Amino acid sequence: MTATQDPRRERRAVGSFAAAIITFQVLSRQIVTRSRLIALGLMGTIVIVVGWAVGMSDSADRHLDPLEQSVRISVNLGLTVVVPVVALVFAAGALGDARDDGTLVYLWLRPMRRWPVAVGAYAAALVVSVPLTVIPVVATAALIESSGELVTAVAIATTVAVVGYTGLFLLLGSLLKRSIVWGLAYIIIWEGVAAGLGRAAARLSIRGYARSVITDRVGVEIASFDITQGWGIVGPLVAATAAIMLTTWRLNRMDVA
Amino acid sequence: MSSLPPPPPLPGTRIDVPPLGAPMVELSNVSKVFGDVVAVSDVSFCVGPGVTALLGPNGAGKSTLFRMLCGLTPPSQGQVRVLGSDARRDREVRGRIGLIGQEDGLFDQLSAGRFVEIAAMTHGMVDPKSVAAEVLAEVELDPLEPKPLGAYSKGMRQRVKVAAGLVNDPDVMVLDEPLTGLDPVQRRRMIALFHRLGDQGRCVLVSSHVLDEVARLGSRVLVIAQGRLAATGDYRALRDLMDDRPHRIRLRTDDPRTLAARLIDTGTAVAVRVESDGLVADILDVDKFGRSLAPLARDTGIRLHEVEPLDDDLESVFRYLVERR
Repeated sequence: MTATQDPRRERRAVGSFAAAIITFQVLSRQIVTRSRLIALGLMGTIVIVVGWAVGMSDSADRHLDPLEQSVRISVNLGLTVVVPVVALVFAAGALGDARDDGTLVYLWLRPMRRWPVAVGAYAAALVVSVPLTVIPVVATAALIESSGELVTAVAIATTVAVVGYTGLFLLLGSLLKRSIVWGLAYIIIWEGVAAGLGRAAARLSIRGYARSVITDRVGVEIASFDITQGWGIVGPLVAATAAIMLTTWRLNRMDVA
Repeated sequence: MSSLPPPPPLPGTRIDVPPLGAPMVELSNVSKVFGDVVAVSDVSFCVGPGVTALLGPNGAGKSTLFRMLCGLTPPSQGQVRVLGSDARRDREVRGRIGLIGQEDGLFDQLSAGRFVEIAAMTHGMVDPKSVAAEVLAEVELDPLEPKPLGAYSKGMRQRVKVAAGLVNDPDVMVLDEPLTGLDPVQRRRMIALFHRLGDQGRCVLVSSHVLDEVARLGSRVLVIAQGRLAATGDYRALRDLMDDRPHRIRLRTDDPRTLAARLIDTGTAVAVRVESDGLVADILDVDKFGRSLAPLARDTGIRLHEVEPLDDDLESVFRYLVERR
């Protein structure tokens, strides 16, 4: 229809990998704001300070074995607070912010498949969230008890948790407005309370699988249900994959401003 | 819907070229409902190459129509076809649309050059950097300007959006109030750009709520009011319609009763309401009124202080068009 013959205007189909990379590049810059970095970085720093304070205290003052104390603080502060909150802010914002401020149209109204957009958004949130969660939580554990096995267990558990939460909250951000509020309600009510009350609820929580990884590796009994480390890793991975698929479905059907 | 006479062709332009084969944009009995609100009601039209203006007051349903056209939201009823397909489902068609939406959102951390380059990448352009430089030059922006978009003025952001909408050489351009925030010089240049694009055989759909803008945008006009298509046709015919419809005019005078009687006696006005310092007259023929008012006042010795049209605004035209459907 158009008369342009300029070779610079040649185009080819946008491949799925290219679409995911473009989405990743755009959204990873979009979700990282100074205020978010300061607030979430501060939260991680506080957890590290707690680890340092506990690690510096005299062993006679401690009520628990250093290994168990390290695990409990890492889990109670790290896996229960830092990891889900950081993942919520970045993952819910990845597509949710773009939809709310009208920029999603620049990825949506394009000759690109939807699933690479979902994968790119997920990758953007994950890449930003991992350093802000794994570093403080692992550092906290190491400051209390510098065991290689413990550090590895906490590192795996934290990574697994952030992988799972990022998927869930990406989906939440694509489904609901005010997703931060709904996400916080989920973290407090389901992950914080319900998952601690019974096995069935724990099996439907990301926290339950992450705890199982630590229990399986270092033997400290914090898991709500008994599974191997392998299943503890697979559970959140499956949740994240399902969430990305549902996000793709949602992208196909959503109204875009 | 009111049909206006077909437009006389302008010399040397290709505006309002009838569609060859299938129309480029086709809406059939399209409605859109948000909860209890009917945003668009049973709208049907076809548009071919050239510039077509969608005119309507704020809240008339223009943006909703454009969003449905681009596939951003599905119609509640009816069918929307762009280049013979549904943009919501057809990836290939999405690559042939250029949308400049009303939303102000841009990736504010990026420079204009990077933003437009990314737009080109998302369309699969082989050389996105060159394309970005070319289209930014088209809207008179520097592709090497490092300033982030967040620091741009409204008018500059609007031009960046237009540039991003041009990267894929679109066959169908959808521009929702694209002149908002532009200074008069930029408006003129942007309108000239739209005409150039239309003359190249593209379908250029531009919405506006400002009648004077529409006058310059194109001769083919779709008038939408209260979610319904109130009129289609040539701009000049619309202008005539504005002049032909009943008008209400306030006259300030030292003898309103005598003037009211004379206006009715001579058939210049069809109804008159006398007020303390003047009168309000309903007239059918503006030209006749204009010709006869001064002689009538002179003959009766009445002094006229002010003649003020009360409904010479776009809203009243829309209201009239909708009411007479």
